[in-house]
This record gives sequence, structure tokens and C-alpha cells, in this order.
Amino acid sequence: MARAKAEQQQPTTGMTLIVLVGLAIAFLLFMAFLNVVKSGNLLNETNLLFAALIFYAGAGALYLGFGVTGTESYVKFASLATWLGLIANTAAVAHRWYEAGHPPFASVYEMLLSFVWTLAALTLVAEKKYGVKVIGTVTMPVAIVGVVLMQLLRTEVHPLVPALQSTWLHVHVTLAMLAYAACALSFALAMMFLIQDKMKTETFLAVTSASTLAIYASVVFTRFERWGGLSLVAWNPEQKSEVFLSKGVRLFVTIPDLGWLMMLALLVVASPLVFYGLARWKNKDFLALANRAVFLSILIQVMALAMFLVRASDGSYPSLDADGLFATSLAASPFILSGLVGGVFLSLLYLLLLWRRPDLERLLPSSDNLDRITYKTICLAFPLLTLMIAAGAYWANQTWGSYWSWDPKETWAAITWLVYAGYLHMRVTRGWRGRRAAYFAILGFAVVMFTFFGVTYLLPGLHAYA
Amino acid sequence: MGGDMVVNVHTSARKLWQTAASIKTGVVLLILVVIFSAAGTIVLQRPNTEPDEMQNAYSAHALRILDATGLTDVFHAWWFLTLMILVSCSIIAASVERFPNAWRYFSRPYKYPDESFRRALYPQAALAITDEETGLVAAERALHSLGFRPERVVREDHFGIFAERHRISEMAVYIVHASLLLIFFGAVVDGVWGWRGTLNLNEGETSGAVELRDGATRTLPFAIRCDQAGQENYKDGSPKKWWSKLVVVKDKRDVEKKEIVVNDPLVYGSVRFYQSSYGPNGKVEKFSIEATPTSGSGAKREISLTVNETVSLDADITVRFAEFIPDYAVRDGQVYRRSNELGNPAAHLVVTSKASGKNFDVWFPPLDEIADNSKAPYQLQPTDLQMGHFTGLQVSHEPGQWAVWTGVVLLGIGLAFVFYVVHMRFWAVPVRDAKTGKYTLWVGGSANRNRDAFGQRFDDLVALLDEELKNIPKAAPSEQAATVAGD
Repeated sequence: MARAKAEQQQPTTGMTLIVLVGLAIAFLLFMAFLNVVKSGNLLNETNLLFAALIFYAGAGALYLGFGVTGTESYVKFASLATWLGLIANTAAVAHRWYEAGHPPFASVYEMLLSFVWTLAALTLVAEKKYGVKVIGTVTMPVAIVGVVLMQLLRTEVHPLVPALQSTWLHVHVTLAMLAYAACALSFALAMMFLIQDKMKTETFLAVTSASTLAIYASVVFTRFERWGGLSLVAWNPEQKSEVFLSKGVRLFVTIPDLGWLMMLALLVVASPLVFYGLARWKNKDFLALANRAVFLSILIQVMALAMFLVRASDGSYPSLDADGLFATSLAASPFILSGLVGGVFLSLLYLLLLWRRPDLERLLPSSDNLDRITYKTICLAFPLLTLMIAAGAYWANQTWGSYWSWDPKETWAAITWLVYAGYLHMRVTRGWRGRRAAYFAILGFAVVMFTFFGVTYLLPGLHAYA
Repeated sequence: MGGDMVVNVHTSARKLWQTAASIKTGVVLLILVVIFSAAGTIVLQRPNTEPDEMQNAYSAHALRILDATGLTDVFHAWWFLTLMILVSCSIIAASVERFPNAWRYFSRPYKYPDESFRRALYPQAALAITDEETGLVAAERALHSLGFRPERVVREDHFGIFAERHRISEMAVYIVHASLLLIFFGAVVDGVWGWRGTLNLNEGETSGAVELRDGATRTLPFAIRCDQAGQENYKDGSPKKWWSKLVVVKDKRDVEKKEIVVNDPLVYGSVRFYQSSYGPNGKVEKFSIEATPTSGSGAKREISLTVNETVSLDADITVRFAEFIPDYAVRDGQVYRRSNELGNPAAHLVVTSKASGKNFDVWFPPLDEIADNSKAPYQLQPTDLQMGHFTGLQVSHEPGQWAVWTGVVLLGIGLAFVFYVVHMRFWAVPVRDAKTGKYTLWVGGSANRNRDAFGQRFDDLVALLDEELKNIPKAAPSEQAATVAGD
């Protein structure tokens, strides 16, 4: 009965998603068109990246479609799109390499380029070699986020400062990208495992909505200003630091209207939790409503994130505490940024669990196999992480005369290593299998992502150029 | 009573040991390390933060608490060190606890499977054979063609075939843990006996006094001279390369020379010198001026000076470069040195006439309230000012780093063995059914990891055996079989 009901509800939600993704692709195509018109040059890096983005997005959409409807022909087109995206991505990497005269590993932008490339390549490997056809539903969104982030970061070719002119840099970064891509893959596989393992979605719904609600509630309660503005810390771009009025007192600027959007997001994000409560105490039927509310909340969250990115990344805004206009930057609001990104990510994870359907389960390898392949990818990732840290230490020793200085990036790399070491110990000695191992793999990837992005933008350190 | 005490101490010691050796303790310690090192990246750390910034970031009260708990310098706090020592102890205890078993396993391979082992083993297979010898020979040939070196095992009246590969893989975990301990050991040696500091040298300067991080000075038993240093730029003006020509001077002799660049240090003894920065030192290397006699008779002259140098312009007149002020200010008819930053420089020259004994001050830029440049017997015009440069060297002494790198290499090897080298064992035993009197060949295999791939391999072996068993009766009976077995 319940299953039959779930079956009925799927087509509508599936359609909503496909329409949404279709709109997004249309928007991107439009942007790409504008870009070509503007630069008058078809084969430059930006366009190649846009091509990669569109293909990855297309692949992601098709994988999603496959996840929702179980139409197998989608997968063929999805891998075709992934291939095309990979080719465009390869061309972008080659272009960058040729222009810079060094492999593209010297900045966050260049590393993202390599990371996305590796991820797409590994997706195809997992699909062809291990038969994990729907892996793209998880890896492609990650790739898309990577490419979108690249658009936000600056793209000029910077010559290598003296410290970066070392073979060990290339060894270090290549290993890092391989390791991180393997971690991403293990994460995707762990998600597949959870889908296959018939995990209960309701609990996850409650956790997801409660966390996103907490994120938006804290943003709104601490930063909402009169007339719908949003307060952010002012940023001095020359000194690359926050602006202080006096000791310990930061200067806040107010971005007009952004507060309203956050308020709206707060309300929409709260709705799934309300429906969940109703379903819990009144009537199970409210769960379907809760699920729809999640879709709506993702839409609004993406909008809030996009507006936040656009308006907080540059521009000058008035302040309530001082006269004149002040600049702000994403770097000045690291916690809000990571909160918003985390919210979207959590909700998307929930979506993924929601698509668990009998035909999807049939298409995935058995949960035992998924568990084993997850373990195998971590067995690949862990030695790579070890070598990456060792190469980095050797390089640091050549450059700064010290192999370990506890700078945040180093420390977080070590933390990543420890988390995976914990996973391996629990698995080998305690026989952790299945769900617990999958949670661990997901946690590991979260730490990897924090090490990769979080540390660079949130924490200060020596790795300033990375 | 006394006896009880001894027993109690004994049991609690045993309990303590077991707790230390348990995986649970290890994982809890790892979690603590993760939490505290994460805290060390979130809370600003004293060693890499200016005191001002610390005060901006935290209120006085919070800062006092953070300082008292050591959270502002996590990685040098005593409790973090204690935690690392506990982690090491846990690794040691866990390894000591488990090693004897593993060593027995490693040093005395289990070659002849007894009945209960045979019953429980997976994967296994049984093939019909005509007699013991045929079965053994077939097993040997099959294992040979899979690249193994089978050996015949004789136990009283039983025979069997045993073959294995990569037994070392059983030891890999211990290699990994031992290498971690070696790395910790190296780090501790460096922490206790190592030091780091900076040495800034002007071109031509010789020094052996290294400024350590805590502000102290360490005098090396030798000195370093910088003959020349320089910077190359990219087209956009950002630095591409810094280089320094360094010479090691010991007992007034040049003992070693090297041009170092970033990423390529000079190593002398156990001390390393790294290129870390390069820049102007605020001192004048060469000041070029053009001198024209005020009277108009006599030729224009081009001279260059360093500070305190005196040059004759003609038989009567000399000029001396009296002073160079990198950042000057004028107040009450006096020139002051405002700072040592090269921002607003002034040069003071003194032109002297021997015959009249008169001195004329000349300032660049012209400072009319101090001196009138035009009164001097020569009109001076600056043409070029070349500033001296210093090279910034990082100096480090890390006596433990060899342990660290050896540990890293061992760790790499150990991990490769842990993840990718599988200890595979195969047994083949001819078994006679007590009731029917017919023989079957029992074949079993085991692998310590990657069991799916091993299952495939086992199936291959069984297929090969099947093939061999079909061939043997046709090919040749026992004599030939014996030669194969012997080889």
C-alpha cells in the first residue's frame, strides 16, 4: 500500500525536477551564448569550461532522470554527455597548461580544474568497470559545483612564485587530486549503498530539515537588519582582513533586501519540518507534502546562495555604524557561506535517498558489492592521501626548512588521514560493514571537502596560494 | 593480604595493558587528536599571529582563558604532546599484544591442513582421482602453471601439497605501525635537539649568528658569506627567482660554495640554509654623481661613492659621502632620521677645499634651509643610486629528519603491502573415503584480503587441476610424475 502510494507520488516530483534542471541548462546555455558574443572567440578557456559545465549539467540531469524514472536509455546519454564534458574539460586543462607553461595546479582555480577532470574520469571508470551506473547522480553535481566555483574565482594565469617552482609541487598536487577524487567516488558509492540498503528516509528528512532550519535561523537572527537588509562584516581587500572599528569590534555593512530573501528561505526551509511533525502526530499523508516542501526549499536555498554569492562577493554597501560605503567579500563571511552551501548539499543528499525505488535498486549492484567497492576506493584513496602528505612534507622541507609546521591545511590533511585511518581500523578489526561504514565514508568526504575548500577560505595559513 | 595486593596489582596492570592495547582506546585517542588539532586550526595560534590581531579577535577575558588552557598554542601545549605520547603507547601496546600471534603465523606457516580446518575452509573443492600420486602431481603442475612453487608436505602417513605467495603481507601492518613510530621518533628528536632560525646577509657580509625563533642568537661553528644575491622577475613584475651565492667559511678558509635558490638549499654539516627572501637593506652600494666646476673652467666629471668614501675632484677639492638617511625629516634646521625604511631618502655630501680649509654641505634632495648647494666650488648632480640588497636565509638543524624520511618510505612500502599484496595459500590433500575406498583430491585456498578476486583465482586453479587430471593418465604414469615433483 505505502509503496504503491510512493509510486504514484513519484512522477510529479520527478517531473518538477526535470523541468527545473531543464531550466537551469537553458539558463547556462544562454549565459554561454552571451559569453561567446562578448569575447568573439569560440575556443578560449572560459568557453571550453562552459561547454564542460553544460555537458556535466546535462549528464547530471540525465543521471537524475535515470534515478527518478529508471529509464535505462538515459544512462547511455548521460555517459555520452560525461564523455563530452570530459573532452571539453581536457581541452580547458590543456589550454590552461599551454598558456601558463606549467601544469594547472598552482591556484584553487587550477586545482579545481584538475579535480573536476579526475572526478569525471573516475565516474566513467566506475561506471564501465564496476557497473555502478548511477554513480553520476552524486559525482556530477559535485563536478557542477566545482565548475560553477571556478567561474567565481579569478582565472588569470599567474606566474609561479619561487616557492612553487618544484617538481614536488606537481607530485603533491597530482596525488592530492587523485586522492580527493577517489574520496569523492567513495562518498558517491556510500550514498548508493544507503539507497540500496533501504535506509528509512523519514529520519533523514527530519535531520536534514532541522539542520538547514538551524542554519537559516542563525543567519536571520544574528544578521537581519531593519528594512530587510543583511549585515556582513566589512572587508579590506588590500590588507585582506576584516575591518575593525576598534579593538574586537568589527564593522558591519548592510546589504539591502538580502535579509528578506533569507527570511523567506527560513520560512520555506521550516515547512518540511512542520509537515514532518504533522505526519508524525496526525497523518502519514503529510510526508508527501514534506517531500515537496523539500524540493521547494532547495529551489529557494539555491536562490539564496546565488544571491548571496553575487552580492557579497564584491560591491560596496552602506553601514549603520559609519558613514560611507564599504566593501565586503565572501572571505569576510565564511561561516554564512559554508552554512548556505552545506544546507543545499544536505537537502540534495536527502533528495538522493528519496529516489530509492525498486527499479533503481535493481539497476544498482547489490549492497554487499557496493560496500566492497566503497572499501576498495578507500583502499585506493588512503595510500594516495599518505603519499600526498609525504610529498607535501618533503616539498615544505625543501622550501621552508621544515617538514611539518602545523599550518591549517597540513593539520586538516592529517585529520582527513586520521578519519580514514579510523575507518580502516574499524572495518578491519571490528568488522564494520554496511551502514556504519557508509556513514564513515560520507564523513571522510565531508572532511576532505573542508580541507580542500574550507581551510582555504575559512582559516588562515601558509598555504595562501593553494 | 600481601598476596592479594600482589594479585590485585597484577590484575590491574594486566587490565591497564589490555585497555592500552585495545583498538577502542586507539580510536578514542585518534578522535581526541582530531578534535584538538581541529581546535588548533580554528583558534588563532600565537606562533603565527601578531599579538595585535589576537587582541582584535578575542576579548581580554576569552584570551586569558584560551592562553591558560593552551588553546592559543595547541601544537606546543603539554597536553597535546601527552596525547601524542599516548597515541604512540597505544600503537606500541596494540602491536606488542598482537605481534606474537602474527609472528607465529609468519614464521611457522601452516602447511598441512587437518580435518577440522579442511571442513571449515572456504573456498574449497574436491576432485575425483585414481590414486594419491596422480592427485599430488596434478596439483603440483596446476600450481606451477599459476606461477607458484608448490612443496610436498609429509606428515607421518599423509601427503599434501602446500603453496603460498607473499607471506610478508602478514607483517605489513606492523611495518606500517613501526614506520609511524619512527616518524614520531624523528619528530621528537627534532623537537628536542633541532632548531630553526633566520640569517639575513648583505651582499659581501659574513656571519654565523643565526637569530632563532624565540629571539635568541645561536652562533654556528662556521660562518656564511653571501658573495652575491639577486632576483629575477616575470614580465608582470612579480618575482620569479631568488638566488644567493653562498660560501661556507671555516677557520678563515672558504670550504664550500653553492648558489642556492628557493627549493634548493645549501647543506653544510647538519645545518641547512634555505633561500627565503631577498630585498633592499637600506644601505647604499653606489651613489653616482656628475660634478661640474662652479667657475665654469674645467671639465665635467663622473664619480661614484659609497658612504664615508672620499674622492678628489681636482688637486684642491675633495668630496666625501658623509651620510645616507633612508627616511628623513627636517625640523628646526636639522635633518633627522625618521625611520630605517627606505621611503624618503636623503644623501649628505661634503665638498672640502684643502687650500681654504672650507667645508661645503651638499644635500640631495636640495634642502635650502640647511645648506645652499650652489655655494660649493663644484655643482653636483646625482645620476644614479644603487641600493644594497640582503638575502634572507632560513636556517634549520633537524637531526631527526632522517628517521622521518625513512619512516615515510617504510610507511609507503608498508601501505602498499597492506592494501595490494595478498598472502595467498593453497593446499591439496588426497583423501581416501573410508567406506568406498575411492580417492578424492581435496583442494583449499585462503587469502588474507581481497577475497573476491581470490575466489576467481581459486576457480581458475580448480579448472586447471581438472585439465591436468584428464591429461595425466594419458601422458605418463608415476616415473615422469616423480621427475616433475622433484624439480
